[in-house]
Amino acid sequence: MPAASSSPASPAAGPGRSRAAIAASRRGVAVTITALAVCFALIVGMAWILLQEIDAISTAKSDNVQWTIAQADVEFLRLRLAIEGAEAGRDTLDELRRDFDVFYSRIQTFAQGQSFELLRAREAFETPRRKVSAFLDGALPLIDGSDAALRAGLPQLARQAEAAAVPVHDLALAGLMAFAEKTDIRRGQVVNKLLVVTGLLLLLVAGLVMLAAAFRRVAGLAEARAREVQASATRMRSIVETSIDAIVLTTRDGTIREFNPAAERIFGYRPEEAIGARAPEILLRDDRARAALASYLRRRDGGAGPRGLIELTAVDRSGRSFPAEVAVDRVTIGEDEVFVAFIRDISHRKAAEENLTDARDRALASERAKADFLAVMSHEMRTPLNGLLGSMQLMRDVEMPPRQSELLGRMQASGQLLLGLVNDVLDLSKYEAGKLEVEHRSFRLTALLDGVVETTAALAGERRNELEWVWVGRRIDAAIGDPRRLKQVLINLVGNALKFTWGGTVTIEVEWLGRKGAEIEFRVIDTGIGIAPEDQDRIFSDFETLDSSYSRQSGGTGLGLGISRRLAHLMGGEIGVESELGEGSLFWLRLPLDHVAEGAVAGTVAGDGGPAGRGVAGPRAPVGPLEVLLVEDNEINRAIAREMLEADGHVVTEAADGRAGVDWARLKRFDVILMDISMPVMDGHEAARQIRLNGGASVDVPIIAVTAHALPEEIARYQAAGMERHVSKPLDREDLRNELAALMPGAPGAGTVPDEGRTAPPEVRLPLIDDARIAALCEILPRPERLRLLDMLVAEADALVARLGEGRDLGDTDLRGDVHHLAGSAGNFGLSALRAELVEIETALKRGQPLDRQRLRRLPALWSDSVTGLRRRCAA
Amino acid sequence: MRRFLAALCLGLGLAATGLSGPARAADLPEPTGPVILVVSGKIGVTNGAGTARFDRAMLEGLGITKIRTSTIWTEGTPTFTGVSLHRLMEAVKADGTNLKAIALNDYTVEIPPEDWQKDAALIAFQRDGKDMSVRDKGPLWIIYPYDSAPRFQSELTYARSIWQLHRLRVE
Repeated sequence: MPAASSSPASPAAGPGRSRAAIAASRRGVAVTITALAVCFALIVGMAWILLQEIDAISTAKSDNVQWTIAQADVEFLRLRLAIEGAEAGRDTLDELRRDFDVFYSRIQTFAQGQSFELLRAREAFETPRRKVSAFLDGALPLIDGSDAALRAGLPQLARQAEAAAVPVHDLALAGLMAFAEKTDIRRGQVVNKLLVVTGLLLLLVAGLVMLAAAFRRVAGLAEARAREVQASATRMRSIVETSIDAIVLTTRDGTIREFNPAAERIFGYRPEEAIGARAPEILLRDDRARAALASYLRRRDGGAGPRGLIELTAVDRSGRSFPAEVAVDRVTIGEDEVFVAFIRDISHRKAAEENLTDARDRALASERAKADFLAVMSHEMRTPLNGLLGSMQLMRDVEMPPRQSELLGRMQASGQLLLGLVNDVLDLSKYEAGKLEVEHRSFRLTALLDGVVETTAALAGERRNELEWVWVGRRIDAAIGDPRRLKQVLINLVGNALKFTWGGTVTIEVEWLGRKGAEIEFRVIDTGIGIAPEDQDRIFSDFETLDSSYSRQSGGTGLGLGISRRLAHLMGGEIGVESELGEGSLFWLRLPLDHVAEGAVAGTVAGDGGPAGRGVAGPRAPVGPLEVLLVEDNEINRAIAREMLEADGHVVTEAADGRAGVDWARLKRFDVILMDISMPVMDGHEAARQIRLNGGASVDVPIIAVTAHALPEEIARYQAAGMERHVSKPLDREDLRNELAALMPGAPGAGTVPDEGRTAPPEVRLPLIDDARIAALCEILPRPERLRLLDMLVAEADALVARLGEGRDLGDTDLRGDVHHLAGSAGNFGLSALRAELVEIETALKRGQPLDRQRLRRLPALWSDSVTGLRRRCAA
Repeated sequence: MRRFLAALCLGLGLAATGLSGPARAADLPEPTGPVILVVSGKIGVTNGAGTARFDRAMLEGLGITKIRTSTIWTEGTPTFTGVSLHRLMEAVKADGTNLKAIALNDYTVEIPPEDWQKDAALIAFQRDGKDMSVRDKGPLWIIYPYDSAPRFQSELTYARSIWQLHRLRVE
């Protein structure tokens, strides 16, 4: 594996040791180089000396000089013999002359030859030589003369020769001595040179020994390093081979170079199959995965960020796709750049994660289903309750004996209590579903606190408690926040305090905190029974009552404080309690609240009623009288709405469809327009839009959408069309009054949209007929009118139910409008089960979902049951 | 002059000895001047008595060669004039493996074939344009071109440089 084998210094060697080794090796190299240089110099020196010597020996500047010198003696002797021979007559004169010439030539050589230059410089040689030359030159006339003269001169020549014998001998001796000396010197020189050469040789050997040692050392280091590298490579290889993750090494262009056993196991390729192939092509599932990898690599290169992991969809040899976690690192080995990819098959982990997510989702869904159920239940409970309460209100309009009036009062009180509980539960479930939103508008603290005191005054009276509120510190009345939630919390706290106090006092203190006053604290202080320390945390939990028997007596769900805590948090504040048993309790609410300059807030919040406030404060006084345009195609609905409005003294103008409504709005200025949504000819959206655009008399009059059940996305559409608010169908008198009151100028209640219509079908079995609603209907409408409307309902329903039951013309575009119309009518007559079925059909049609034929077939029976019950009740 | 006479006598003596030997193809002319060199032994050309006798004119007739070189026996750098030993050996069709050169004083050296089978040695008879007398190491002196190469500066070469040469024998 190249990456492994080329890895830098073995980690085991340690940096220190490695550095020391390198330094040692550098020293070794330096020593080696020096030794080599010295050896080279020695060899050059030796060669120079030896070459000089060879040169000296190979060319001789003289021949055998000793022989030549000795020869002089011999030739002189021959000459003397020749002279004697000639005297005795044995030898011829020519022989004498030849021997003379030969000797003469020898002595001439001494005088002229280069070999004898050295000798000529010596007195011991030169003096006898001159004497001999003088003898020879003296004899020349005689030798070169006539034979007779020579013969006559022979005795003289013999004497002269005898006299020359000593110089000749001296000459020879001197020459021999000189050459002996010269040879001796020469030998000394050679010996010296040889000594020098021997010394140089010894030095050379020493240098070579040093060199050998240096090489040995370097070789040892190299071997040790090689062993380290080998060990490191072995370690790396074992890491790579035993890795659980796949390790794939590729070149720059993605060609696989290494493929470890884990990669083999995960991808199913044998190394010989994988090596040489292009990794992104065989290991990744598709171009998306490849693009993701490319962008990951770009990010890595660009940002130099932390080593990240990326999840890619990989594919193995058999084509199985699986999620893989991949980390890629770039490694530069010399000139070569490679990528090392670590790949982990995370399909098991993913599966586990998915299981976990599913389990969580299921748990959440079931939790939500429960919350939804609770919300639906509460909501559905409110409708009959409102029916009851509305009926009771209407009963108050007629004279009745005191006994009945008293009973009616009790019924009203119980109903309001029940409604309060239901509203609590609904608030809670809404909070849990995240549907509560905080308002942000201006209001007056004085008015709000007066309202709280007013609302709870009755309860205070029952317990003979004194109730008051006071400023502490600065009095800043105008504030910006959510007065409705704030009031609800305060009523809860005060109500709670009053419940546990008999014949004592409950005081509400209000204090702006901090210099700038962006925070406010409310303290509700009672002199009641107090709360034990161990219970003080518990009381803010849901459904928590300290004394169940008492709780039943005082009629609490135990939700009040829990809701208060949630609302406080919702507004960004905190809530808490300080208490001592028997001494009383102090509940505090601290929350951020902006205050505004005095005078910026108009009106009061006295009329504003939260769900809790409404119950205790009693029925709201109707506003008005108002001019109301009622746009509604369903005659039944229209009749009921008109009755409700007129009962409160309003003046009602009816329009049977959107077009008529638009026309009326153009001609006349109304105070408010109630707009049904689903209508023939022109629906509520279009009508509202046209009213806003056509510049008629009622162009800016508030429009309230009247709708049976609004999907959340539809509420946005109402508002886009110019309908600021909406009320739910079937109409509730109190809701209607609230909406009208909120719209009136100066009424700060304008704010949240009331409960959104719920689209989810009730999962509980609904009553066939809502008796409360029938009762309310009967109260509003005189009998002949009732029966007329009932006939209309029957005619409408017979046709449509038959059509739905048989499954005829389900694709027609008018079906949805018809279903909606009938659902509205059925709702008004309290036909809850039928209405629910129709609403579901309408929702399915709205959403383009297929209809359930099974359910459609059950419709006629349901209608038949409903109408039978309805006739019986209406006839009464 | 006496030198020449002596040489002549010597030559005549040798010639007489040669004449007494078996008759041979005498394709070398008889010398007309004093004989200064006698070649004997294994030779293919003679002028009587198994020897080839040369006078000065005959030697010159074989072709003149000049060598300018210093020697260890002389001063300066003289020019030697003579006939190449190689050419002389060719002229007498020498067919031996050794050559003995003998001087007047009976100094004898052996000259190996490589010195006379190619142009190396010169039998000089003039130094600086003048004939050499016996006193001047004449009349013939074997000279090598000492200055031309170190191999001619050896003691062996100096020993072969025989002067006062008057006989050669091919063996």
